[in-house]
Amino acid sequence: MADYILRRLIYMLITLFAVASILFLMFRMLPGDATLQVISPAMDEAVQQRMKAAFGLDKPLLQQYFIYLKNLVTMEWGRSFVTAQEVTAIVSYRFWNTLLLMVSGLCMTLTLGIGLGIIMAWKRNSPLDIGGTVVGLIFQAAPPFITGLLLLMTLSYRLGLFPTGGMYPAGARPDSIFGLLLMPAFWERIVLPTFTVGMYYLATPLLVMRDSMLEVLGSDYIELARAKGLKSSVIMFRHAARNALLGVVTLASILVGFAVGGQVVVESLFSWPGMGQLMVESAASHDYPVAQGTFLMLAILVIGLNFITDILYSYLDPRIKVSAEGISR
Amino acid sequence: MKRREFLQRTGMIAGASAFSFLPKFSFAAGKTVEPMTLLTCNASFDPVRPEMGRLISQACKKIGWNVTLAAEDYNMGIGKVFKEKDFDMFIVRWTGRANRIDPETFTAMMHHRDGTYNKWGYDNSSVNDLCDAQRVEMDPDKRRTMVHKIQELIYQDAASSPIVYPSMTNAYREDRLTGLVPQVGEGIGSLWSDLNVSVKKGDGYIRTGQTSPLKNLNPVSVTDSNEFKELRMIYDRLIQVGPDGSLKPWAASSIKSPDSKTVDITIREGMKFHDGMPVTIEDIKFTFDYQKKWKAPFFTSSLEKFESIKITGKNSLRIKLTEPHAPLMINFFAQIFILPKHIWKDIPDKAKVADVLNFANEKPIGSGPFKFEYWDRGKEIKVAANKDHFHAPKCAGIIRIAYGSHDAMAAAIEAGECDRTRYILKPALVQDLNKVKGVVGKGFPSHGWYGFMFNHLRGPLKDPVFRKAIDHVVPRDIIKAVVMAGFAEKGGSVIAPANEFWHNSKLPARKSSIKKAREVLSAGGYSWDDNGTLLYPS
Repeated sequence: MADYILRRLIYMLITLFAVASILFLMFRMLPGDATLQVISPAMDEAVQQRMKAAFGLDKPLLQQYFIYLKNLVTMEWGRSFVTAQEVTAIVSYRFWNTLLLMVSGLCMTLTLGIGLGIIMAWKRNSPLDIGGTVVGLIFQAAPPFITGLLLLMTLSYRLGLFPTGGMYPAGARPDSIFGLLLMPAFWERIVLPTFTVGMYYLATPLLVMRDSMLEVLGSDYIELARAKGLKSSVIMFRHAARNALLGVVTLASILVGFAVGGQVVVESLFSWPGMGQLMVESAASHDYPVAQGTFLMLAILVIGLNFITDILYSYLDPRIKVSAEGISR
Repeated sequence: MKRREFLQRTGMIAGASAFSFLPKFSFAAGKTVEPMTLLTCNASFDPVRPEMGRLISQACKKIGWNVTLAAEDYNMGIGKVFKEKDFDMFIVRWTGRANRIDPETFTAMMHHRDGTYNKWGYDNSSVNDLCDAQRVEMDPDKRRTMVHKIQELIYQDAASSPIVYPSMTNAYREDRLTGLVPQVGEGIGSLWSDLNVSVKKGDGYIRTGQTSPLKNLNPVSVTDSNEFKELRMIYDRLIQVGPDGSLKPWAASSIKSPDSKTVDITIREGMKFHDGMPVTIEDIKFTFDYQKKWKAPFFTSSLEKFESIKITGKNSLRIKLTEPHAPLMINFFAQIFILPKHIWKDIPDKAKVADVLNFANEKPIGSGPFKFEYWDRGKEIKVAANKDHFHAPKCAGIIRIAYGSHDAMAAAIEAGECDRTRYILKPALVQDLNKVKGVVGKGFPSHGWYGFMFNHLRGPLKDPVFRKAIDHVVPRDIIKAVVMAGFAEKGGSVIAPANEFWHNSKLPARKSSIKKAREVLSAGGYSWDDNGTLLYPS
């Protein structure tokens, strides 16, 4: 087990190194001159050079790359070209905002998906089963900007039931995340983005849960439970659903990665100051340090969650063996 | 050069030919005028520019000249023009920043051979000489005469083509705000509005919308006009540009020039920084010395002209200049922010950064009319009124909110979540908002302009006759009425009528007429083949 974890850790670090290097190159290959956003080309040449030197852009690209790698290791992710704030501070603040939205969205997705999946499998081919599948697939097929825009148009702009965006009312920034959670205005604002995220990802756990349940419901031990005269609810939740959950657990970690990365549209639409919005802002303004930090944070999250899932998997399913070679059944 | 010779060359006295200085152009005689590209930003950056470009390129085809429109990413376009100098023509919006009330930007910086904006190769020795002369002329009336002549020469050369002078299209909640004071080039987003506006109901804070988020709060690294607009609330300046574009005393009770190379500054008594420390003449001297030491990007060229700074009294100091510099008042004294010495003397060391340009200044302390409360990057900045200030604001404070688009900002105004716009709002949305109860959408005068700019080093654009002809092609009437929804005036001189003191009113917009353009081209020797394609003079 220890060998396996060590090997996975090394793989993880190699992957992160590759991601970091690709990110460094990717942003420098973007069309347009990155310095133009912060250094006006209309300024004197001496002033332009002065500003480039301040941002470290006067050094050769290879030297910039090694400085970047060194800074990554020491967790000195540099300062924003645009605001001069520390990248770690910017990214961590935005990360928590995204996490709030992601947690609420995924809670909705998983609760609804698992719950509905169980019932739909139990009532296979019923109108609920067919209707649930259709609704789930419609929301998955509709891009979040369509769903979100329709919600905003109808519930915010037309009916005035919800605010148009943001995390809190203008001018009322809370001092801490706990202060934010205690604000009723925050909960009013999280409803629409949560619904947009939740419904977009709903189809995946819904259909996985439904399929797993159908597979489990055909098992001998379920027949035996029925023969014993156990109540339907006991068979459905205690015997069938618990065993069918394994597939959804694996899926949840993948969904977390998707959900964090996929917040770009939802956050922009609802003016939610999270990682997704930061990615758009920093990439558009060629703010390399922030853009690299944001994408790297996402990579760390996804790779880290995959790693944890692999390890957890062996605990959740005793039939799975972990060895230095990997997972086998 | 003797005075008479100089004036003769520049055409300021009779007997000088306005075109005598022009170089001889050599063309591929009788050949087809080569197709060219008109560069603009894309519609997501500014919906107006690609529309103008489309209309102009279509109009050019009517004189037998093929022009292709290229609407590109703003950054890439800027790079092509200002860095690579790889362009034929482009459309730009020269914004009416407060410092551009001084004629230096639109004359010397854009049209002097060595002007920092002049990447298009315009080189007219008379314009160059006059630009140099006006810069050191400290008498405003004499300077104005020169500036008028520069405008005339630029107009005769059709060196740049102002398409329209757009209004500052703003909207505000009439049912919530009272006392807004528009400023030339800034509309109701001005500092004078910030100071004089009050709220009829609510918490007293003005919710101000803008589509671009604030970038930086460092008064040393400041270069962007958005940053200037926020920092001027927190930090005092020595003087301010007033609502009509004239200079108003601010932290300095007087700024006098006993001679053209000396400036005497006296500051008000009793000013305090937001942390309670007094503002002294030491702070003013420190500000100049510090910005010079760290080569502050916006101010360094002005500071290079400072020979010495000497404190001459409790509240006064004297600056000796290496040479007279007329734009100093607006471009420097009305822009630079007073730094508290007791804080900045330890920056960047205390902030643990190598360069002051890397200092985030996350809790700015100034002496200005508003005190900093917080800045939520990318979302909003909140400042509260400094009731101890000599020009204390009437409102409780300002919350400046960044919206993702013009449409989102208009929707927020309609919903009552935003009280006013800080910068321009899409003209069509201003018209829509006027239909909303309690909302006013209006255009306010600006000295900025949309420009049709030419690469003077390429093909037919080298020829002033050709440039003049295509200036006639620009469909200004349609652009004004349709693209700008009426919120603009047709462009003539490079200094807009809103800048009353410096504007040369004898230079009206050239008549939009394909017929006239063809006449100008014919008179210049151009002709057309059987297919109607424009040919170079033979």
